[in-house]
Amino acid sequence: MLGTIGGTRAADAPLYTVVDGNKVDSNTIKGWHTWRAMACERCHGANQEGLVGPALVDSLKVLTKEQFKTTVLLGRMEKGMPNFNGSKQVVENIDFLYAFLKGRSDGAIKPGRLEEIK
Amino acid sequence: MSSRKSFRNWWQYAVLLAVPVFASASSDIEALTKDSNNWAMQAGNFANQRYSELKQINKSNAKNLQVAWTFSTGVLRGHEGGPLVVGDTMYVHSPFPNKVFAVNLEDQKIKWKYEPKQDSAVIPVMCCDTVNRGVAYADNKVFLQQADTTLVALDAKTGKEIWKVKVGDPKIGETTTNAPHIFKDKVITGISGGEFGVRGRLTAYDINTGKEVWKAYSTGPDAEMLMDPQKTMTWTDGKMAPVGKDSSLKTWSGDQWKLGGGTTWGWYSYDPALNLVYYGSGNPSTWNPSQRPGDNKWSMTIFARDLDTGEAKWVFQMTPHDEWDYDGVNEMILANIKVKGQQRKTLVHMDRNGFAYTMDRSSGELLVAEKYDPTVNWASGVDMKTGRPILDAKYSTDRQGPDVNIKGICPTALGTKDQQPASFSPKTGLFYVPTNHVCMDYEPFKVDYTAGQPYVGATLSMYPATAKGNMGNFIAWDAGTGKIVWSKPERFSVWSGALSTAGDVVFYGTLEGYIKAVDNNGKELWRFKTPSGIIGNVHTWSFKGKQYIGVLSGIGGWAGIGLAAGLEKSTDGLGAVGGYKDLANYTELGGVLTVFALPGKAGV
Repeated sequence: MLGTIGGTRAADAPLYTVVDGNKVDSNTIKGWHTWRAMACERCHGANQEGLVGPALVDSLKVLTKEQFKTTVLLGRMEKGMPNFNGSKQVVENIDFLYAFLKGRSDGAIKPGRLEEIK
Repeated sequence: MSSRKSFRNWWQYAVLLAVPVFASASSDIEALTKDSNNWAMQAGNFANQRYSELKQINKSNAKNLQVAWTFSTGVLRGHEGGPLVVGDTMYVHSPFPNKVFAVNLEDQKIKWKYEPKQDSAVIPVMCCDTVNRGVAYADNKVFLQQADTTLVALDAKTGKEIWKVKVGDPKIGETTTNAPHIFKDKVITGISGGEFGVRGRLTAYDINTGKEVWKAYSTGPDAEMLMDPQKTMTWTDGKMAPVGKDSSLKTWSGDQWKLGGGTTWGWYSYDPALNLVYYGSGNPSTWNPSQRPGDNKWSMTIFARDLDTGEAKWVFQMTPHDEWDYDGVNEMILANIKVKGQQRKTLVHMDRNGFAYTMDRSSGELLVAEKYDPTVNWASGVDMKTGRPILDAKYSTDRQGPDVNIKGICPTALGTKDQQPASFSPKTGLFYVPTNHVCMDYEPFKVDYTAGQPYVGATLSMYPATAKGNMGNFIAWDAGTGKIVWSKPERFSVWSGALSTAGDVVFYGTLEGYIKAVDNNGKELWRFKTPSGIIGNVHTWSFKGKQYIGVLSGIGGWAGIGLAAGLEKSTDGLGAVGGYKDLANYTELGGVLTVFALPGKAGV
């Protein structure tokens, strides 16, 4: 199967690279690790399809990258979304977290374990 | 050996708004629980039995039960615990924002309403929904343990604050979901936050002043755990022996005990004759076992402590070095039953790990430990000499280290039973237990600690235990022999507290929202669909000669949080038909108390 280059078809670097649905570039792996470390699945579900929090596979079709970053870093306290600007890991990897979730939302990255493209 | 260092500072936190006229060594709570017209404690009595002597509603007429009145809390999210009834007043609580209503039973008018001001920043550090397991009552005061760790005493007549004290710090992930418990002149409370690297403890306060009397940590140095290396006993090689020096410190590497978990968010019981308080501690932090080598004492432990000093008389660790999140917080039910033909004063505890433990509650000796769901597989049994589970290496999440997905572990992290409390009927001698029938895949991974951020380190997927697809059972358990007497399958986990009565009727609720009445043999007598899924606990009381049954519905909690949960394809072949995802087809959010009675006038 061919690799998918995700995100906008702008001149800049692709948001993520994925092969066979579960092999991704090293930055997107970092995004996935950040997702796990922050236990995001407790609210958004192991497959990003939502639990008590919204389904991110849908939200990422609507939110801009900036809106996504603002939401994650500053939280939406009234809805129970924590602010993650206190986490070094999130702050450093926010672009990669976005890339991972965008890949899930685009349907290019499959749910579950990811590995790095060798 | 007492911990007085915290005593120095209590006044900085306690806001004294009234001065008690006198301080007695005891409150009226014991007398109130002896009158079965009341439901004065969350569990009905000190022994955590959830049994009522009332028998107007019995196995012949339960089929005629009908709704007497209803009451909305105006709050969504999970409604655990239940209301209290003292005399002519009912005290109803809600999840965050933790409202309390005093309702006049005469006309269901609201006498007073209390709504604390809490910072909503506490919501994200609550792991498993914004639940609260109810208020406590004694000496004309109502005690509320808010989510933000504020413990407040209210005047039961007016709802006015008498005193307040902070028992923890939400900034480091400390929250509170447990009901406070009143024994004699003390209010006992715990702490939640095992998923945030909190250090668990139980704290006792004076009911009149809010002054801290003692604080006992689950992990760390002996003095801070109120443990005496020589006097505190534990089951060792088939007999009781002292725990010895540094019994906790020796089982952690370095400073890990400081983030060690062992939280205390369950139900506590008390034996006045022995003056002992019983409770369990939760999981060690993190969920990634390879990050914390050792037995991680005293997480996952049954504690028996002196009520007046907090000193630990005996301890028993059920799941050393947890690899599955099998918190030990479930209620300790005190019951005098026959064990292997001998009458014993026991403590019975249905643990998350799938084993039901019967202990001698005065000495701490292990008497029985058996599976209460046949699918439990992470351990083949409990070694009665050591008290340790006999592990099946296949289901160890530690053996292969992080980033390996271990499949087919039974039970899930939810346990064979979570906090949903069981009931004991002295009349039948049996325990009626709401259970989960769910298995999981568990993948640990390395996490770093940041105060106030999740410190979990595992990813899980859950699915029904067998191809039959039912995710719960309501069972009758014989704790003397360690055998299931009968088991009634339920579509979803049974996440509601049970009630047994002298009328030979046992009640429980389901996640679809049914309250059900069964007879002592598990035969269904009656059911009613309440407005939402039930994770609250059924209770009963009598007013003006008429017996009532009440239950809070309002889906949520860890079971209900998965309303929209998807399942991974990896569970194919286990007959998973959508698991908890199915729940969305049955129920929606919303907190309502529904009250039932028999038709006609009192005594009919």
